[in-house]
Amino acid sequence: MDTQWPRWEVFKKDTAKKPYQAVGSVHAADADHALLNARNVFVRRPQAVSLWVAPAAVIFSRTAEQLEQGNPLPDVDQSVQQTYQIFRKATHRRSMTFMDHIGQVEAPSPAHALQAAIAQFPDPPALAWWIIPADQIISSGEDREMAAAWFDPAKTKTYKHQSAYGFVSARPQGRRRSGAKDE
Amino acid sequence: MNEAVTGALTSRLTALADDELILAQRNSEWTGHAPILEEDIALANIAQDELGHATVWLGLLEPFSGRSPDEMAFFRDAEDFLNVQMVELPKGDWAFTMLRQYLFDAYEHILIEALLASTYQPLADAAAKFRGEEMYHLRHTHLWVERLGLGTDESNRRMQDALDILWPAAGQLFVPLPDDHLLVHEGIFPDLAILQDQWVAIVRPHLTAAGLTFPAEIANTAARGFHTEHMATLLADMQLVARWEPDGEW
Amino acid sequence: MTKINEMTMNDEKQTAEFEARIARGEKIEAGDWMPEAYRKQLIRMISQHAHSEYIGMLPEGKWIPHAPSLRRKMILIAKVQDEAGHGQYLYHAAETLGATREEMMDAFLTGKAKYSSIFNYPSDTWADVGMIGWLVDGAAIRNQTMLAQCSYGPYSRAMVRICAEETFHHKQGKEMVLLYAHGTPKQREMVQDALNRYWWPSLMMLGPHDADSPNTPQLVRWGIKTKTNDEVRQEFIAETAPELLAAGLTIPDPELHFDEESGQWIHGPIDWDEFWQVVRGNGPCNAERLGARRQAHEDGAWVREALNGYAQKALST
Repeated sequence: MDTQWPRWEVFKKDTAKKPYQAVGSVHAADADHALLNARNVFVRRPQAVSLWVAPAAVIFSRTAEQLEQGNPLPDVDQSVQQTYQIFRKATHRRSMTFMDHIGQVEAPSPAHALQAAIAQFPDPPALAWWIIPADQIISSGEDREMAAAWFDPAKTKTYKHQSAYGFVSARPQGRRRSGAKDE
Repeated sequence: MNEAVTGALTSRLTALADDELILAQRNSEWTGHAPILEEDIALANIAQDELGHATVWLGLLEPFSGRSPDEMAFFRDAEDFLNVQMVELPKGDWAFTMLRQYLFDAYEHILIEALLASTYQPLADAAAKFRGEEMYHLRHTHLWVERLGLGTDESNRRMQDALDILWPAAGQLFVPLPDDHLLVHEGIFPDLAILQDQWVAIVRPHLTAAGLTFPAEIANTAARGFHTEHMATLLADMQLVARWEPDGEW
Repeated sequence: MTKINEMTMNDEKQTAEFEARIARGEKIEAGDWMPEAYRKQLIRMISQHAHSEYIGMLPEGKWIPHAPSLRRKMILIAKVQDEAGHGQYLYHAAETLGATREEMMDAFLTGKAKYSSIFNYPSDTWADVGMIGWLVDGAAIRNQTMLAQCSYGPYSRAMVRICAEETFHHKQGKEMVLLYAHGTPKQREMVQDALNRYWWPSLMMLGPHDADSPNTPQLVRWGIKTKTNDEVRQEFIAETAPELLAAGLTIPDPELHFDEESGQWIHGPIDWDEFWQVVRGNGPCNAERLGARRQAHEDGAWVREALNGYAQKALST
């Protein structure tokens, strides 16, 4: 059987003030490679200051509809508190991103983490939740030099923007290549 | 800057541009044919960065050569190109492409660091601009070399085959141009012998840790400007449309 | 993603509630209840769309080595790279519905899954790159703008992202076509030839006439499509035809004209036999395109295995 490598969800932080947002996923065999792929796929254009990736397989997800129908998350008591990162979708508005990161909770199980999140972040009401064990998330870090190496180059690639082409329906001026060619 | 130094700088800028232009040409051949979708994207990213660097070097050259970047790329013949032979070799398999890119990225990384201190300001400025991209490239290919070297027996064998060709070939990166010493004297361009030591200190331990061994074959010390048989076909492809209608604006 | 639907309500009631959600403008997300037919239609549409982006790299990608200026080469690499990125976004959207990329690749490479008919036409000259950008991407953007309104959240989001990136594809193509249309005689001849070959396939790629498109009403009701094929085709002609003519190019349809009374562009009959031949795998380049994709896939197998091997060793140490 062919392998396309496991799938990793990607979270992009556009500016220092914005939250990490779920932008899509990449396939990669390991975490470091997933992070590089996330950069290549999701930062072909600016902007970003940091990226997170997490294996899709470790994400606990529930929609509001599922919760209404009494479909809770697994409640295996791990008897130790663990940190979970909480992501929420709260609007039907059209957008490029899915979940926003809204905070973290300490809980002994995913089910408890979700309960805690619902209590702690009641407003606006969630349409969907993602609960991710914090130790499963790999970050590109927020170091300035690293961020410059990873994310600034996209800023110079202006030819990827439609604005680089201006208004192209006018009749172009008949410029000619200047200078002699030598062959 | 006296005439001799200007001449030396013209040759060196041509070499810098041609290495990147020809490597970008080879890498861009992968677009649409990579082992997985994510890597189509990754390699196209590297190719764009290199092509961008080549364009900047050719732009710096224009006041000296009197020729536009496009004229330099599309209307020179093989003997006027000053790239190393390593970058003109066919793209080969993924191991060859990744290893070539790694060896070149490590070279470019230390070169850029050295050029930050160039007394010729346009070179220092360009180096500052490329620095981030090069750090990222090196991280990318560093990761690939390790994974392919240690992945499976087949991937290790393919990497070893690639190293057997590329290790001696990479020696040419450090062969000075005839007048480079003038640039070194002026603090415009670094001494390649020093760069070579730094380069070996970066790549040797990493390739060893990736389970690869070094061929005994002696390094390629051919002067820049001599090419393999692959250069002519590469240029025929690259210059096909531009030379079909040289009077056109493209 | 979790499996859902442990509910006991009957399907009809669920379907009614589901359709009410769509009518209210809510987005359906992975995990929500959805009719099985909705899921299947979406997987079919999204994966076809993903395959189209993936294979769509080939006709233009083959011209990257021949691009006639440094700027054109840069633009074309970035554009074909975007197509890979768009394929990637779309495979992700299908994955949220439970399809795996391995299954989708298998269906694609064995010829079970379809992809857009347009990519089975040859790209014979450099001018085709411009014409593909202007016409093919122009037609695609029409469809994608509509699909960005789609009721399924992940598909809609992929489309919003793709539309934002794709406008550059369209503009760079148009820039080239206009430049060559006003260029040297050789350039003019080349770009007219490209238009001759790409006009009809561009109209066809927007799909069969409404009367011959049995899935459309259901897709419209479920908010997957918000316009019919003929409506989108009309918009496309209205946007491109006047500008092509203004550039001094000849559109290869003697019957094409604007009907003042209806406010519609009237075009000559589309050769649907050709369309279905191409869709069924008998187009001029079906074998070549799929062959190239299979070759790349097979050549890459050892690379994909090597990285899995490395990851397993890293876990076990």
